[in-house]
Amino acid sequence: MPHVETFDNGLTLILEPMQNLESVAYELQIPGGVVLDREDRVGASIILSELSSRGAGDLNSRALSDAFEERGIRHAESTGNDRFSYRGVLLSDFLGEALRLVSLMVQRPILPEDEIAPIQSVLIQDIDSIPDEPSRQVMVELSGSYYPAPHNRQSHGSRDGIAATTVAELRELWQGSYVPRGSVLSLAGNIEITQARELALRYFSDWRGAARTLPVWGPMPEHRQSHVVAESAQVQLALAYSSAKFGDVDYYTSKVATGVLSGGMFGRLFIEVREKRGLCYSVSARHSGTKDYGTVLVYAGTTPDRAAETLAVMIAELPRLRGTVTQAELDRARANLLTGLIMSEESSGSRASSNAGDWWVAGRVRTLEEIKAGIDAVTRADIDRYVERFPSVPFSLVSLGPKAVV
Amino acid sequence: MSSSTSNSKTLKATLDSGLVVLGEYFPGAKSAAVGYFVRSGARDEISVESGVSHFLEHMVFKGTRKRSSEDLTLQMGDIGAQANAFTSEENTVYYAGVLAEHLPTIHEILSDMLIPALVPGEFAMEKKVILEEIALYQDRPHFFLFEQSMRDYFQGHPAGNSVLGSVASVSALAVEQMRAYHDRRYSAPNMVLVASGKFDWDTLLSNATRWTADLPTEEVARLVSGYTRPALAREYKRKGINQAHVLLMAEGCSAEDPDRFALELVMLMLGDSSGSRLYWELVDKGTAESAGAESEERDGTGLLVAYAATEPQRLDSVAGTLRRLVSDPLAFNDADLSRAKVKLTSRLVMSGELPMGRLMALGLEWIYRHDLQSLREMVEAVNLVSRQDIERAAARFKFQEWSEFRLIPE
Repeated sequence: MPHVETFDNGLTLILEPMQNLESVAYELQIPGGVVLDREDRVGASIILSELSSRGAGDLNSRALSDAFEERGIRHAESTGNDRFSYRGVLLSDFLGEALRLVSLMVQRPILPEDEIAPIQSVLIQDIDSIPDEPSRQVMVELSGSYYPAPHNRQSHGSRDGIAATTVAELRELWQGSYVPRGSVLSLAGNIEITQARELALRYFSDWRGAARTLPVWGPMPEHRQSHVVAESAQVQLALAYSSAKFGDVDYYTSKVATGVLSGGMFGRLFIEVREKRGLCYSVSARHSGTKDYGTVLVYAGTTPDRAAETLAVMIAELPRLRGTVTQAELDRARANLLTGLIMSEESSGSRASSNAGDWWVAGRVRTLEEIKAGIDAVTRADIDRYVERFPSVPFSLVSLGPKAVV
Repeated sequence: MSSSTSNSKTLKATLDSGLVVLGEYFPGAKSAAVGYFVRSGARDEISVESGVSHFLEHMVFKGTRKRSSEDLTLQMGDIGAQANAFTSEENTVYYAGVLAEHLPTIHEILSDMLIPALVPGEFAMEKKVILEEIALYQDRPHFFLFEQSMRDYFQGHPAGNSVLGSVASVSALAVEQMRAYHDRRYSAPNMVLVASGKFDWDTLLSNATRWTADLPTEEVARLVSGYTRPALAREYKRKGINQAHVLLMAEGCSAEDPDRFALELVMLMLGDSSGSRLYWELVDKGTAESAGAESEERDGTGLLVAYAATEPQRLDSVAGTLRRLVSDPLAFNDADLSRAKVKLTSRLVMSGELPMGRLMALGLEWIYRHDLQSLREMVEAVNLVSRQDIERAAARFKFQEWSEFRLIPE
């Protein structure tokens, strides 16, 4: 059972000691990200997290990078839609130094003006290269049309927003965003609770600031179907429909039902689309859910002549879940989820990240026993109820390729 | 069983058939990983069977002498096995992660799969899937560039063979050709069985003996000489892309070369994704969207590879900087070397911390070096590399003779 506590400044600390590991992983998540960027500066927060790595405290960009590398700390920072993340993994001797460096980046970044242009250049090149990878572009297009604003913003930002951002705006954004209240620091691996707690207090208890509130989720937009013309070898098909949110009585059912569709090689989509018809190499369904939304995302890539048939088979499989799942299928879907859980239980990085994610979504850390029990309790009747509550029609669809599919 | 030895935590035995079995316990683990490493891949194909290694890897999941495709899928699903496989230029690996109590079951299934049924109907159906996979990779520009460049760089030597094969070669493949390839390559002495995590060694050995009894026992050869690699300059064009890519290749060290850690350290300092000279000169300055370099060690040969992606109008300048940096491998100081050693050793230790990570390292270690270095011994070997070792290694390999391949929008 992980140790969880919230410091006086509002930062939550999660510690999970793991036996037989030499590594420790850390993950600091701060509310923010592109959903909180100004309408005309979408992507400023991406520049900010990158800029925080270009010098902090009395370390310039090079010295900060060297300080991580000298201790073999594999560190990365990133900005997502609703949070900034600072994460890394290292051999546990240097945890104190890792936390010190991260605390400098978030509490005392230099934010040097002359480093902004190179960062903007790389981010804009990244945006320009999205059409080069059709499987990435189709997901970008789907999330743009499926989710309500501002949550439908792209995690790579907008070209104009990134280009227009100034250092003064970034300093203001940093002051308003990088605050302890609402943030979470998660450590897992070769740690001892008293010592890890003392290190976290040393480097993060003086951090001050009031929380920012994430935008409320409005109603989901109307479902849309669209096609993007692209000169690709394969047609990309991505569709999404509503599913159980975190905390919903059918949350675990949605995981298991999606597992019946797409768990390993026995998933129905894999069997129907790939094994029986040879239509695709890649076909999958995935459930994701937070307290604000739940979604099933279905993906396939196939050559243009076979796109219409692939889509038809996919769409037909989704509602067929109701009343047809056998006990053996249910057991396989559950066993697959449980093996994944146990294997992730052995990795410090997985534990640190999923504990932080739980805190984010649920405001508490679920134990593995709780998750296992949730998965184990799902019955065939639950799946029938789930499919009735969350029908696959209507859905949003984006296809991408040389010619329209529907 | 002809021999059984142990080296620190790693256990090793050679069965009478020639199959080598390796195992490593993880105290406290609840899961186990198991896999068969077959020393066979694209470079072991003759030209008319291009793509057969990878296609065979798919067919191994499509039925055996005892099980239909559906039996395999369902029986692996029943125990929650996370099974998968991959094919490279030199190896085909079948592996699975399971809860420890299911290890014997998945071990028996994987062993059964080593002799696939190759049913013609399944072969025809799976061919369609392979052709889709080829199309999928055509939509990934850096993959396309790497594959084209390998073929050109190796000048027809099988070391440059494509793993996927082409639409033409895969379309033309017949099931008899696959069977002949399988008969030629899937023999016990050409494989290694590895288990890691929680398992019982004696059970593993007795089961392996029983379940691989029908494998051929002939030794298998591979062409590991005769490379001619002149310095080339090639440019490929594609429609529908915005970014430009440059890839440099030069002769590096083979996987069994004693200088491999020296060369890996050089390439980390030159081209790791963080803190390297390429990072500071190209990505930190915003000129390239990404850049990297590494040593790719192969059987009997090796490649030094450097890569960058950028806007088309900056390609000349980026390619020039890339070439300048990689042609000067000794531009580092003691602090750089010390950081690179810490980086490499901590990565070795951390990647060996999970049963699946250790499984991969052990299998490849044996295939390439017939050695069983513990993680500690590897860390020591890396730490012993001196500046003089690196100077000697850099002089042995071709840091001044790069072939350059570009991919630009048409």
